[in-house]
Amino acid sequence: MRAAGLDIGSRTVKLVVIEDGRTILARKGLTSHDPLEAARTLIAGADYDVIVATGYGRHLLKEHLDCPVISEIKAFALGAKAIHAPCRVILDIGGQDTKAICLNEAGEMAKFEMNDKCAAGTGRFLEIMAKALNYTLEEFSKAALLTEHAEKINSMCTVFAESEVISLTARGASRPDVALGIHKAIVSRSTALLRRIAPSGEVFFAGGVALNECIRALIAEDLNRPVVVPPDPQMVGAFGAAIHAASARPRRESAKRGGSGGHDNSERSV
Amino acid sequence: MKGTVEPLINDEYTGGPPTKRVLARLQEKRKEGRKIAGVYCGYAPTELILAMGISPATLCAFSNATIEAAETVLPANLCPLIKSSYGFIITDTCPFYGLSDAVIGETTCDGKKKMFELITDLKPTWIMDLPQVPDEEEAIANWTAMIRKLQGFLEATFGAHATDEAIEESIRDINRRNAMMRDVFEFAAERPAVVGWRELYDLTFLAQGSSGKDMESVLTEALAKLEKRRNDGYRYGPAGAPRVMVTGCPVGGDAEKVFAIIEEAGGVIVALDACSGFKPYMTDTEEGTGDPVRALAERYLRIPCSCMTPNTRRLTEMSRLIEKMRPDAVIDVVLQACHSFNIESHKVGQHVEKVHGLPFLKIVTDFSLGDVEQIRTRVEALLESC
Repeated sequence: MRAAGLDIGSRTVKLVVIEDGRTILARKGLTSHDPLEAARTLIAGADYDVIVATGYGRHLLKEHLDCPVISEIKAFALGAKAIHAPCRVILDIGGQDTKAICLNEAGEMAKFEMNDKCAAGTGRFLEIMAKALNYTLEEFSKAALLTEHAEKINSMCTVFAESEVISLTARGASRPDVALGIHKAIVSRSTALLRRIAPSGEVFFAGGVALNECIRALIAEDLNRPVVVPPDPQMVGAFGAAIHAASARPRRESAKRGGSGGHDNSERSV
Repeated sequence: MKGTVEPLINDEYTGGPPTKRVLARLQEKRKEGRKIAGVYCGYAPTELILAMGISPATLCAFSNATIEAAETVLPANLCPLIKSSYGFIITDTCPFYGLSDAVIGETTCDGKKKMFELITDLKPTWIMDLPQVPDEEEAIANWTAMIRKLQGFLEATFGAHATDEAIEESIRDINRRNAMMRDVFEFAAERPAVVGWRELYDLTFLAQGSSGKDMESVLTEALAKLEKRRNDGYRYGPAGAPRVMVTGCPVGGDAEKVFAIIEEAGGVIVALDACSGFKPYMTDTEEGTGDPVRALAERYLRIPCSCMTPNTRRLTEMSRLIEKMRPDAVIDVVLQACHSFNIESHKVGQHVEKVHGLPFLKIVTDFSLGDVEQIRTRVEALLESC
């Protein structure tokens, strides 16, 4: 049986199809202003028997695809455990959320914490700050890694932090120093959230922000704990949803639901 | 059996906001010539007010719509309940305030205290100084004095009077009302519950300022219907639904979004442990002490509001409620910028997790709908772990 997991996040949509526990298809695309269309494009042509949706757009999918949904917290817990069996502590920094998840000895979700309702200290925050410094996301992380000295960013509100960045650059602060300051601000916020529920132990770091090399290094340094980043940290939620789909009882009509037509998203078989 | 059953209160207001029913009742009282005292909080001594022949009216505080107007004066970073209350007054949209001949407030928190200063000129207003280290002898003596002073204010304003015998009688009457309310809560304690949050809330809201006598027929009828539901095997909510206890700040009106999300996520709310829910009905005033006002002071100071310190009673009362209602999870609702409930949430969470071994979730929110999906994700994840 082929089981699919679809993770409709605030910034990206991800699809994973697994068979016998192995990933046979992984795709991602941008959520855009039309998450339903983005999801449809992503699943077009994909071959699966059952599908489970997760992420912010999960209920939209439930309505249109009549598929079961799970929260992204459960999806990340399932995905992380399957990728890295000893995993007990998960940090996921996505487009608009930061989540710290703690698993019990059986690997089930025991506790979680999320950031406040605003997108402070998340992927979206990084995007906006990179833009304020006229960097691409890749350049932004690299620039921050170039310097040892960080300009302190005091505000975590995206709007205020942007003003702070503008004042710093207006004062002649170096771009890389400001970039490092922004990275540090995100990290201290995320590690504080993590420490609240998991004071010790290895950390499984996932979500789009885990692609950022500087954030990865700073988190390991700040926590002084081992940090494991999976090969494709953005896909953990979709993978977890696929695992849930595979374990759930097969649906009444396990017809192959993927539509026809191509898509412009990156496609890889893992 | 599942399906439709007769609502516990079956009148023209059934299915609508509980405020309309209460308003109609107060308008009747008004026609009979009774004076109305607007109240904001569970610390206003209902027994005394009723004993003086005055009806307490809970003033509006739960709408997002009045916040914009309030923010022309009040800071945005303030508790939505205080902003909404003030907004209702300056836009003249709270019918309960319109009916009120006087307003009673308490110094529960800094925000309310300072907001009251902005409305004292509009109507005769009396602010009671609430002691906040409640177990001290001086606290009881002071609160006794404050209740007597309120009595003096109501006498001076309305020419109303109450003997200590009348206050004692009112205490007995409210104790009877509270006991009947607790009988209702027993049906939420049933596994599965035979009553949902909406009907519980309708009753807790209606009973707030009502005497035992005024509530008797409503509660007798509700209890008979609940008995029948149980005997007929009626069950509220889906089979095997996780049972949720909601604690924290008062919840009503636009903040009911949290209750709705819990139900949409498949949960059944079995306990509303806030002063907008069960709290006013959980403890009684001692009868026959010979000093009814002191007895009232003792009982009111036992209300485990987060404005008290150290508020250990919140945890012991919560344990009592958890053991009775047997929830599968506890959700603590904190209104934005309510520092006392926000800080206390840490202790509450530890207590719920360590002593009762239950999953716990804190939600910080306001009256807007902007965070509904974020709250939904958290609630769904919590219920998935049950």
